[in-house]
Amino acid sequence: MVPYIIRRLFNLIPTFVIATFVAWGIIQAAPGDFATQFAFDQVDPNKAARIRAVLGLDHPWYLRYLYWLRNVVLHFNLGTSMTSKGSVTALILPLMRNSMVLLLPATLLAFAIAIPIGMYSALHKYSLTDRALTVFSLLGLAVPNFFLALILLAFTVQWYHHFHWFLLPTGGMTSTGFSDFTTWHKIINVGWHLIGPVAVVTLSSLAFTSRIMRGEMLETLSQDYIRTARSKGLPERTVNVKHAMRNAILVIVAYIGSALPALVSGAGSVEFVTGWPGITPLLISAIFAQDVYVVMALLTIVTLLLMLGNLLSDLALAMIDPRIRY
Amino acid sequence: MADAATTPTSERGAPATSSVQGASLTNIAWQQFKKHPMARVALVILAIMYLLAAFADFFAPYPEHDINPNATFEPPTAVHFFDHGHLTWPYVYGEKKSIDMKTFTSVWTVDTAHAYPLRLFVHRTGLRDRYVPFPVNIIPVQLRRVLGIHGWATLHLFGVADPSDQVEVHLLGTDDLGADVFGKLMFGARISLTIGILASLVSIVIGMLMGGLAGFYGGWIDEIILRFVEALSAIPDLFLLLTLSAIFYPLHLPSTTQFMMIIVALAVIGWGTIARAVRGQLLSLRERDFAVAAKALGASNMRVITRHLLPQTLSFIIVSMSLQIPLYTLAESVLSFFGLGVQPPATSWGLMLSTAQNFAGVTGLTSRWWIFTPGVAIFLAVLTWNLLGDGLRDAFDPKSRR
Repeated sequence: MVPYIIRRLFNLIPTFVIATFVAWGIIQAAPGDFATQFAFDQVDPNKAARIRAVLGLDHPWYLRYLYWLRNVVLHFNLGTSMTSKGSVTALILPLMRNSMVLLLPATLLAFAIAIPIGMYSALHKYSLTDRALTVFSLLGLAVPNFFLALILLAFTVQWYHHFHWFLLPTGGMTSTGFSDFTTWHKIINVGWHLIGPVAVVTLSSLAFTSRIMRGEMLETLSQDYIRTARSKGLPERTVNVKHAMRNAILVIVAYIGSALPALVSGAGSVEFVTGWPGITPLLISAIFAQDVYVVMALLTIVTLLLMLGNLLSDLALAMIDPRIRY
Repeated sequence: MADAATTPTSERGAPATSSVQGASLTNIAWQQFKKHPMARVALVILAIMYLLAAFADFFAPYPEHDINPNATFEPPTAVHFFDHGHLTWPYVYGEKKSIDMKTFTSVWTVDTAHAYPLRLFVHRTGLRDRYVPFPVNIIPVQLRRVLGIHGWATLHLFGVADPSDQVEVHLLGTDDLGADVFGKLMFGARISLTIGILASLVSIVIGMLMGGLAGFYGGWIDEIILRFVEALSAIPDLFLLLTLSAIFYPLHLPSTTQFMMIIVALAVIGWGTIARAVRGQLLSLRERDFAVAAKALGASNMRVITRHLLPQTLSFIIVSMSLQIPLYTLAESVLSFFGLGVQPPATSWGLMLSTAQNFAGVTGLTSRWWIFTPGVAIFLAVLTWNLLGDGLRDAFDPKSRR
């Protein structure tokens, strides 16, 4: 197992280098740079050139990629934000934590609901419930999640206009005066703010995930060994649970890793609408300000997390599936 | 060699559809497609939506960039069909805006003194009201000038019979600029509905080319392309798309160029999956007898790839294209919603929804519900494309048939 893990980790290196190089290339392809906004400074015409020299923006772009890579690999230093003038790591970490607070419950909830739904649909193929669930997931697939979040926001405001108290918060992660709260109060407060965003992210990924589950379960149910199990007279329940479900779970585990990018993207637009202080709002403002190191750091960290997520789900698969040799 | 593409498919499909043995691929696909009632309904709805978008100038009562700063967030005009209990020709009333001095919100009052009947097929001949009708308006302006095409049209499907042009009919109200939302939905559909098709075409061309090269040559070409695809797919789509859009959005490009750049950005995030799938298919196809035979007869590599191998992946391409289009439609709406996609004065459904994000958070759902309608339009377009894609998949893929 250990050599397999090490081999897989080494395999990640070229992917990581290519991905960050491509990301860097895209960021540098944007016209102008951070210093451009000072180019027409009336008082100090050389301000832009000076800022470029200070920030090292006057070096060629591929050299700056190498400097960046050296700093990341050797010193775990993701650079300095040009707008906030602080370390990018210090800027990103709390937001990263906030995003995880939203993403993890949503992912767990989505899978916890999708797996039973998919299994049920597959076992009762073309039944009334299955058809209803199919219609539901088709509708769910078509609703953009930022629109769902907008509707939720508007509904919340509507509720307030009507009853003059807030069923859900209108946005953000904490209420005013949060720092004075007791620990329990803080947890409850964040939890209350979580309900809306988590519900939206879960709902919008539920449709797709439950479809995948249904498909995988159907695929498993059509295998020869299921027919064999049935024909040797095993009770239906044993066939479904012991033979079908256990094997379908394998595919689901493998799927969790590959579903992460879509979940991160989906949570991103919900963060934007609900004002959740996560990484996507920061990414957008950094893109508008051409704060390249912040953009780069966000892309790098998320890419790294996704690669590790994929690796973990592959390892889990290798552990529970005896057919996989490593 | 046109039926080279059909042989394997009809062979595989033979047990399920023995009655149509010998039929061409398109024939079988059409037979199967007709068994899918939802997909047929979706096809009809999509056809209507594309017609509305194409002839938006005709169906919309007001011209594309018509705004009115005095009539922002005007609620939908009520169209009356009954006059004192009798059915009459539909008519509308004029509306006046006043400010409620207590809450400082605008209040719209209906002036029932005078009824203005609606008219069908009205001509609006004002200089700003004229428009270039559909098939002509896709020719670039410069080319039109060179060719000497000066087509103008003045006809609209409906309008208010008001000589002073003060009373307007807004079936879905107006937005923050006082533009007619009903018309804007159709003008926005021109971008929102075509961007998916064009982006999926571009991504399929890139994907087939790259996948074809990788699958056919193998070796280090395969390794490079695969690594590149893997690296691109490691970055989450939304983040990659947002970063890509930063290349072109600060340039203040003309809206046509902006439109093309968005298509390219969408294609960049989508070609990888297609390239991977095409590569996988080619790996097995290139060992098949007909490919070896073509090679033995002296066909060049490029010819074998483009004329013999890639046509075999045709049904896969059709299906994956119809399933990619709704994804791209959604991606464009997200991008425009963030303000990094389509820029005003051009409009798309996502951009229209960003208005809802900016203004509706304070007033709630019921008081300005009509600015949420672009979301319903996105929903409908994505739903129908998905249904159509499901129908096509069942039609072309014998394994997914019931």
